[in-house]
Amino acid sequence: MPSDPLLSVRDLKKHYPITQGVLKKEVGRVKAVDGISFDVTPGETLGIVGESGCGKSTAAASLLRLEDPTGGAVVFDGDDITDYDDAGLKRFRRRAQMMFQDPSSSFDPRMSVGESVAEPLAIHGMRDRRRRRRIVENLLERVGLSASDFDRYPHEFSGGQKQRIALARALVLNPDLVVADEPVSALDVSIQAEIISLMRGLQAEFGLAIVFISHDLSVVREVCDRVAVMYLGEIVEIAETETLFDDPQHPYTRALISSIPTPDPARRDERVELSGDVPSPSNPPSGCRFHTRCPEVIPPEQFDLEQREWRHVLDLRLRIDKGIDVDDVRAFLVAEDVADAPEAVPDAAVERELRREFDVPDALSDRAAEETLSSGLSALVAGDLEQARRTLDEAFTTVCEREHPELERTASGSEPACHLATESVAIDPPANHD
Amino acid sequence: MAPDTQSDTGATERFEDVEWDELGGLGFPRRTQALVVATVAYAAAVAYDLFVTDDAVLSGTNWLFVLTLLVGAFFVAWPLAENRRLTAYYWRRFKRNRAAVVSAAYLVVVFVVGTLGPLVLTEPELNILAAYQPPVYLSVDSAVPTTCVGQTADGLCHGTWQYPLGTTSDGKGIAKLVVFGMRVSMQVGLVTMLIVVSIGTAVGTSAAYFSGLVDELLMRYVDIQQTFPTFFLFLIVTYLFKPSLFLLITIFGFLGWGGIARLVRSEALQRREESYIRAAENAGASDGWIIRRHLMPNVSNTVITAATLLIPSFILFEATFAFLGLTDPATPSWGQVIASGRGDLDGAWWIATIPGVFLFFTVLAFNFVGDALRDALDPRSEGDA
Repeated sequence: MPSDPLLSVRDLKKHYPITQGVLKKEVGRVKAVDGISFDVTPGETLGIVGESGCGKSTAAASLLRLEDPTGGAVVFDGDDITDYDDAGLKRFRRRAQMMFQDPSSSFDPRMSVGESVAEPLAIHGMRDRRRRRRIVENLLERVGLSASDFDRYPHEFSGGQKQRIALARALVLNPDLVVADEPVSALDVSIQAEIISLMRGLQAEFGLAIVFISHDLSVVREVCDRVAVMYLGEIVEIAETETLFDDPQHPYTRALISSIPTPDPARRDERVELSGDVPSPSNPPSGCRFHTRCPEVIPPEQFDLEQREWRHVLDLRLRIDKGIDVDDVRAFLVAEDVADAPEAVPDAAVERELRREFDVPDALSDRAAEETLSSGLSALVAGDLEQARRTLDEAFTTVCEREHPELERTASGSEPACHLATESVAIDPPANHD
Repeated sequence: MAPDTQSDTGATERFEDVEWDELGGLGFPRRTQALVVATVAYAAAVAYDLFVTDDAVLSGTNWLFVLTLLVGAFFVAWPLAENRRLTAYYWRRFKRNRAAVVSAAYLVVVFVVGTLGPLVLTEPELNILAAYQPPVYLSVDSAVPTTCVGQTADGLCHGTWQYPLGTTSDGKGIAKLVVFGMRVSMQVGLVTMLIVVSIGTAVGTSAAYFSGLVDELLMRYVDIQQTFPTFFLFLIVTYLFKPSLFLLITIFGFLGWGGIARLVRSEALQRREESYIRAAENAGASDGWIIRRHLMPNVSNTVITAATLLIPSFILFEATFAFLGLTDPATPSWGQVIASGRGDLDGAWWIATIPGVFLFFTVLAFNFVGDALRDALDPRSEGDA
């Protein structure tokens, strides 16, 4: 790192309790953000990317203390902001600002945009109305609007213009840090480029640090110096932008990057498709949270299975773990005219159907694995769910499911949290971790 | 000359040059200063009336009415005058509804005449000799009035300009009664509305903004209050004490805000989720600032519309009670005149009809204006030509 970090987030957590009943008994927790750590140096742009619902916006709100974090530390310029009292928090607010995603709801429809931009000045003690007006008029011109727009109302502006005004509002207190939560996602691509170049220009002029949150990788690639990839409340990889895009280390990063549309038809086959849905953050998977969908999930050592085959077997096993109703399969087969009544459906047909549903071949390439799978499925079809689970869980398990990987620096300069990456550098000297 | 002539308010100033540590200290905008002065003056006047002099300068109801006028001036008229562009925008949208414009004009007349008229006119007097006079230009069988003030011709008594709207059975001029009734109706409608709206808005926005326990306590109290039979309370209180307009206004005002509080809360809950509230929090605004500057102005659509629709219901309440004889007989209210004329509908139809027509049009006008305000005040509905 060239200089001391301006913002240093350590193991930040934000959990939302799920309550039930009149007494609000806590029955569970949605772990929206579950232990993320990163640094932002002055003048740097850090991107946070991930699918919607992965906790990006909650992370943004928590690190500005718009939501009180459940745990962890946010150190801003040497002080932990989670310890601030009201006065300290207000001083912090002057130096850290936020830009919001939705340009239509981020301005009070009953205030002229000039008043909205000037509001932070008034809140921080600038009582002189004319002085506020002078500053805001000047600022509006610098973000590409005109001074006379001061008296106009939000509904009189387009989305792109409103984001310019939002940028003006974020800048008016001359902050050191701006957290931009999907600032261009609601805009047309041509307008996106304008806003981004405006942001970059102003960033260079004032040495702003920006935390740029987006689901759009192509925008992030253009804007950010470093990128953190989030999945289900955790950072799975963090790296310099070039490194991340040229040589992604985490399978999830690879899947995200391959989802960027490419004009090269020869490369379209390289697209990685993820199976399954994003698991619920109230009950995240054990070990590596991505193991339920990872196309490169590590196979058990004792078997010699093809990667795709293993993925499908693991999908089937996880489904059986969650509970599967064999009678439903029988009923489905009756509807498909395999037999007349559920009882008449042969067990073999049920097993075949289960394999077909999860794309598991009728015979696995590894003999020992095939035997275990058959015996597990037989137990399941025979109605002994417990036995099936025991058999399958014992054999078809992976380090990804058992152990939680930590972020570790690899030879490429990236920091993925993946057992695959750690395995490959196991012979290297321990990664230098500060 | 320098090309930099963009700003018309003097030299340009850049945000990065602000020395934040130099700022601070107290300072208030003009409206707040004027408001403080007005509040102090009002409180002093009320205290003088209550504790210093023995003979009341103004009645309780009239003091409340003065307060209502002050509040209207500071929180409706002043902001409208300050934000001319927004006012013009609202007016353009409001005037699309012709019926509402006519209604508003009618209400302004009722308001001005009702407020100023009783200051100029003397109270209507009993005059048995002038009972049952017909309105001017109209005539009635000369057997109906005991003596005809105007001309009698062909066995018909004609109305005169002395009593332009005729007289009641005890010879009071209906025109004067209507003017005094306007004041009663305006006082009941506006003052009760002010009490209901202030408490309802404060409770509703606080419940929505603070949520949790505050919300629970306030809204459960509202539930209890809503089940309370205000009508019977009013009956009991008028039985125990001397019935007066002041009692009617305070009872309905302080027990009638539950509905508004619920309405405001549900609206404020939606507004609370908007990013501009987040933006204000992020700028370091306090809870009070957010409630006053963002939450309240943005629920004002709901409040103003609900308020304009509440006013006629209070006016009707008062008329009903007066008709039933449950109010102070010395207060000249429309309901009372209607009641006094109901026995003479055959001979002297104008006694009950004329105040009835005024009551009808006043209620109708408030409803029209309320509808038009609802359409006009929503800044989100775009497509303004």
